[in-house]
Amino acid sequence: MSKAYTLEELLIITVAKEIHDHENIILGVGLPTTAGALAKALYAPHATLMMESGIIDFEPLLPLNHIADANALRGFAYATDLFSAFTMAYRGFVDVCFLGVAQIDKYGNLNTTVIGDYYKPTMRLPGSGGAADFISYSKRTVLTLLGGEFVEKLDYVTSPGYLEGGDSRDKTGRYPKGSGPSMLLTTKGVFRFDPVTKEMYLAQIHPKVRIEDIKKVVPWDLKISPDLTETAHPTEEEINFVRKFAPAQAAGRKLMTELVISNLQKKMQQKTAG
Amino acid sequence: MSEVNSKIMTANEAIRKFVHDGSSLILGNYTVAAAMSLVYEVARQQKKKLTVYSQSGVIDVEVLVAAGCVDRLVSTYVYRGGGRAGGSAVERALQAGTLQMEDYTNFQYNARLVAGMHGFTFIPVLEGAIETDLFRKRTFLGEDKYRVINCPYTGKEILTVPAANPDVCIVHVQRADKYGNAQYWGALGSVAAAALCSKRIIVSCEEIVEHDVIKSSPHLTLIPAYRVDAVIEIPWGASPTEVIGYYNLDRFMFSLFAMACGDAKAMQAWMDEWVFDCKDREAYIDHYVEKFGSGTLDGFRAKAFYSAPANYGAAFTSIWDGEGRERNMGVTMEEFEKFLKEKGALYE
Repeated sequence: MSKAYTLEELLIITVAKEIHDHENIILGVGLPTTAGALAKALYAPHATLMMESGIIDFEPLLPLNHIADANALRGFAYATDLFSAFTMAYRGFVDVCFLGVAQIDKYGNLNTTVIGDYYKPTMRLPGSGGAADFISYSKRTVLTLLGGEFVEKLDYVTSPGYLEGGDSRDKTGRYPKGSGPSMLLTTKGVFRFDPVTKEMYLAQIHPKVRIEDIKKVVPWDLKISPDLTETAHPTEEEINFVRKFAPAQAAGRKLMTELVISNLQKKMQQKTAG
Repeated sequence: MSEVNSKIMTANEAIRKFVHDGSSLILGNYTVAAAMSLVYEVARQQKKKLTVYSQSGVIDVEVLVAAGCVDRLVSTYVYRGGGRAGGSAVERALQAGTLQMEDYTNFQYNARLVAGMHGFTFIPVLEGAIETDLFRKRTFLGEDKYRVINCPYTGKEILTVPAANPDVCIVHVQRADKYGNAQYWGALGSVAAAALCSKRIIVSCEEIVEHDVIKSSPHLTLIPAYRVDAVIEIPWGASPTEVIGYYNLDRFMFSLFAMACGDAKAMQAWMDEWVFDCKDREAYIDHYVEKFGSGTLDGFRAKAFYSAPANYGAAFTSIWDGEGRERNMGVTMEEFEKFLKEKGALYE
């Protein structure tokens, strides 16, 4: 029997495999930075990790709070500014970027700005940040959708995926050929994009998930790869790395919060008793 | 430089003097080292109708919007507490129609500052965003949010944004001298551009150091003295956000804020306690220590990891050598003047 893992560990390990050795990687906060740390430790020792805050070429010692978190590092190799971090991508030096998603459509266009009307929002989300520019110019973009949704039509187009599908992205002449979203990770599976139609399809399904569970949350007739695979059981080495490096992430938000609260209560009781 | 050039003042004086109702105010820091004590001072002085520029809003933008100081916000990213179920002061103000927001990407926003900092009227940005609602949906900047031109050399379509020159920048750094030379390191973000594009600059710092310290490390100076209007020494001045080399994120206070900001009443109570009822940062620290003990803050103090010093030394520091001879011509001052006189080069 191989070592048991949590869903969160599986997600981090799955997405880390999108990072190849010697690549330049723009990381977003949360799951991607832990995936970056894992990739650098196990699969891609020569990858260069980068963040748009201008922190370039670093090795995280602990999970990052956000994309400007130098406190989770012991120095780093190159301190540049935000402006230059983006022109680097524009020049073609970024291989992969990672973006979180609130709404996604079948061609990988993204909304992270607003739910409802932009001018009178039902819910105001963070906004573009670096997303629209990074997905425009990185060679590949890896998307993670954890609390978000699949929709027919985005409430707001924050970041360009494959636009109307087919060759519509390339035809604009505004993006490097072949760029665009390469993969979407959700809690249920991995999606990729058809090389011709650019429509998203289910490529890989996580253990214990049924195809119907996925189809239920996708409002269009989702295509399934004829070569659909099940996400592989992570190795012991991978699980150990994630659990040791980012235990709170390995537990997931709910279980982590439960432990934090009981720890606080314990401390309060000790204080009262003392 | 002399004492006369000292720009040291209190946060209260600096904000009173340089931030006015209707001003455009830029928050110089990006995600970390937010100028929190200056932000709280703006809230306490109840400045109104501000246009706020923020690269990425965290607790700083939330406090200013919740305090009713902001009419217009130019930004790329705003904070939201508690995920989908939560909310933010920005969201409530947008829903109530008391706040207008202009959305840019991180690069576009930074580019507006870079154009302003260098005196250009506009700057090209990355054209991919033309295909998005960032380009299509505009609020108070209207036509002037973006304009599209053709490159005079290649004919290619180019997306541009206008320069930004806000009235005043508030920015927090690790250290500065009394003249205003401000040194900042870590995640550089858009800190330099935010300060330098502004008409006035208010610097708060963890410590004021001797001018010699600055001169030995000019590569760390992001903002030069001649551009700075006020310098305020405020230890813990960015807390609960972090300052590399000084302290980490105060997770405890940040959680209190994050839990409050999703709800108007809870946010008001949090602001009353930590912003309005503490007249300055010292009072804030006192209240904090009184309530939670000094151990909590101490736990966030950074342990030192010093940068290797850069050597600014040279072979000599005077053109006259140890024996008083000019290094290349080989003469003493006396011999030199005699020589000049002999040659008829001196006018009596």
